[in-house]
Amino acid sequence: MIGEIIESRTAEFVAEAVRYDQVPAYGSFVRVNDGELRVYGIVSGAYTGSLDGMSKAKAFFKSIHELKMEQPQIFELLRTEFSCVVVGYAQHGRYHPYYPPTHVSLHLPVEMAGDDEVLVISQHIGFLEKTLNSPAGNGEELTAAAIRTAARLHPDPREYIVRVGRELLKMLNYDTQRLKSILERVDIT
Amino acid sequence: MKGTILRGSLSGGLEVRLDIGENIEEIKVGTFCVVEGRTHDFFSMVVDEDIEAANPKAFYETLSDNPLLNEVVRGTGIIDKVKIQPMIAIRREDNKVQPVKSIPSYLSRVREAREEDVFKIFGRPDRTHFHVGSPLDMDHIPVCIDLKKFIERSNGIFGKSGTGKTFYTRIMLCGMIKSGLCNVLVFDMHSEYGWEGEDEDETRKKAKGLKQLFGSKVAIFTLDPESSRNRGVHPDFVVEIPYRSIEAEDIVMVREELNLNPTALEVIYVLQKHLGQDWLITFLNMDAFAIEEFAENTGAHAGALQALQRKLFRLQKLPFIKENPADDAVERIMQYLDSGMNVVLEFGHQRSMLAYMLVANILTRRIHELYVKRSEKALGGMQSNNTPLVIVIEEAHKFLSPEMSRQTIFGMIAREMRKYNVTLLVVDQRPSGIDPEVMSQLGTKIVALLTEEKDIESVLCGVNNAKMLRNVLASLDTKQQAIIMGHAVPMPVVIRTRTYDETFYKEITKDEDDAFRRRLLPRLNQVPSTGTFANGAGADEPPPGKEFEDLMKELYGL
Repeated sequence: MIGEIIESRTAEFVAEAVRYDQVPAYGSFVRVNDGELRVYGIVSGAYTGSLDGMSKAKAFFKSIHELKMEQPQIFELLRTEFSCVVVGYAQHGRYHPYYPPTHVSLHLPVEMAGDDEVLVISQHIGFLEKTLNSPAGNGEELTAAAIRTAARLHPDPREYIVRVGRELLKMLNYDTQRLKSILERVDIT
Repeated sequence: MKGTILRGSLSGGLEVRLDIGENIEEIKVGTFCVVEGRTHDFFSMVVDEDIEAANPKAFYETLSDNPLLNEVVRGTGIIDKVKIQPMIAIRREDNKVQPVKSIPSYLSRVREAREEDVFKIFGRPDRTHFHVGSPLDMDHIPVCIDLKKFIERSNGIFGKSGTGKTFYTRIMLCGMIKSGLCNVLVFDMHSEYGWEGEDEDETRKKAKGLKQLFGSKVAIFTLDPESSRNRGVHPDFVVEIPYRSIEAEDIVMVREELNLNPTALEVIYVLQKHLGQDWLITFLNMDAFAIEEFAENTGAHAGALQALQRKLFRLQKLPFIKENPADDAVERIMQYLDSGMNVVLEFGHQRSMLAYMLVANILTRRIHELYVKRSEKALGGMQSNNTPLVIVIEEAHKFLSPEMSRQTIFGMIAREMRKYNVTLLVVDQRPSGIDPEVMSQLGTKIVALLTEEKDIESVLCGVNNAKMLRNVLASLDTKQQAIIMGHAVPMPVVIRTRTYDETFYKEITKDEDDAFRRRLLPRLNQVPSTGTFANGAGADEPPPGKEFEDLMKELYGL
């Protein structure tokens, strides 16, 4: 478990990280077991702030190591939450590349998705549409990150990127400039 | 070539989007391809190629620095497109060949034609389907011409000089002779069909002539026995033209060569009218007094007569024109043709346009007359139908120019088509010089590379989808590539023509003799003057030990 859901919408959910300094990577795939459904999301952003959400952290101008020695209590006052876009769900062992019938319940644990699960999800190129239209407004960045994550798991990453790129170009209404800006961020060698 | 139909129209052709990974550079204009529609297969030809962007902006964004992006965009944002023209449709249900009256539906698959497609359209090689070449990039698959249809109408072989017209003609002649469907009479201006001809290919150098390939099936006639002998040819007959067989019409045809003006032409008709059949020799032998006397009697202008006589003296320089030739060339040609042989008339050194046109016109006119009579008799049931005759003429634009074609016998043959069983095979490098009316009557055209706009236009005259074929024509290779279109092929097709080499010789002469004997001997028996042989024992079978040559000797004293 890496977090617990504290906010949930059809297209997106927010989870609080188990520890303030342990967040899943941007663009990585997570899963939530909600009864029969297993809902999958892509980490679309993270935030670390004070526990109460009202007060602000204060700058000490010291190294982390020094701070941990001198002011260990301040770390206890921090919390991290991360948001995920919902890309699909699995039911009875079958993956559906669209939103689950109901949004995920609160307080459910969030886990990292397994590599084999990521492979299945990323075969359905439709997940790019969700990342591209991410509510956070960072669609291109998120899409690039998601492709990066997925491509690493594919046997031939370059072939996968080319295949995804072709679909993406259509989604982008054949705007090669935008495609270029996304693919430049997928620096898999 | 693999792709899908992107868009198109019946009139404007179809656009095919190539599948990702297909290399447009490998697809040549003229390639033969098949569109697999829902119920029909459309046999088509690639006529144009194009690059298109879904979003035109894509063209202008520099993509070259990012190979990954280039790979993505190629085939998606920027596509390779091939324009094809459907030529013929086959309903899959019953394999019925139909003209194209509809277009394949959107996203129909397009693929390169396969062997069975080529056979379905052009037939398999057999006696009447002659293998002339193979489709582009399908070297092992034979494309056949339907010879029966080919000889039904007059045909043309066109191409710029040096594109291999002579070879295409040789190949077609071999096909026709081998099939035995018709007899061939070649007016061989450059003496290259009968016996050995030159081959530009370094390794071969010599190209075999028809006589070498078909032996006793071909007779070589010559106008210039010396030239023939020098080349090692033993001509079967030396052609001499009697003065009396030259008619006003023949002189009219060579008026440019003789530099005659319209007045002179009128005078010729006057001469013929008053002097009768021997007008030419009588006129040439007239002295100044005789001319004046003639002028007085007929009302012709003496000056014009004298000028004409001076010009006509050129005819006397032609060694083959004789006052009293030993034998009648036309009768001889007919005799040979009747016995199922084919005749090549070599001109040797007499290759001036004047000699060529004069001889070709005189002989053809008489042969044609005979054929017309026979056809009429055949119609009346008095004679069995005669074997069609194909007359091969070179430099055809001289005979068939718009001014000439109405007067010469060749124009008439080209127009009246098969009615009298005589058709033409015209070989020319300037098709634009030929009367458009004649061009449109030509049944099948074999066209090698043409670059002149006017020439392209004229060969495409009378062809469906001419606009589309224009590109194809202009992009043919200079050697061994030709487009065949018209009556004898179900759809226009670009072929790599067969190589005229040992393999071809072997194939064309295979089981030659047997077939020929079977066909020829019963006929020889019918010739009335051959009583000695026809009444002899075993008339249906060749007498043992007698070769055809011997038979000919016995028959004609050759």
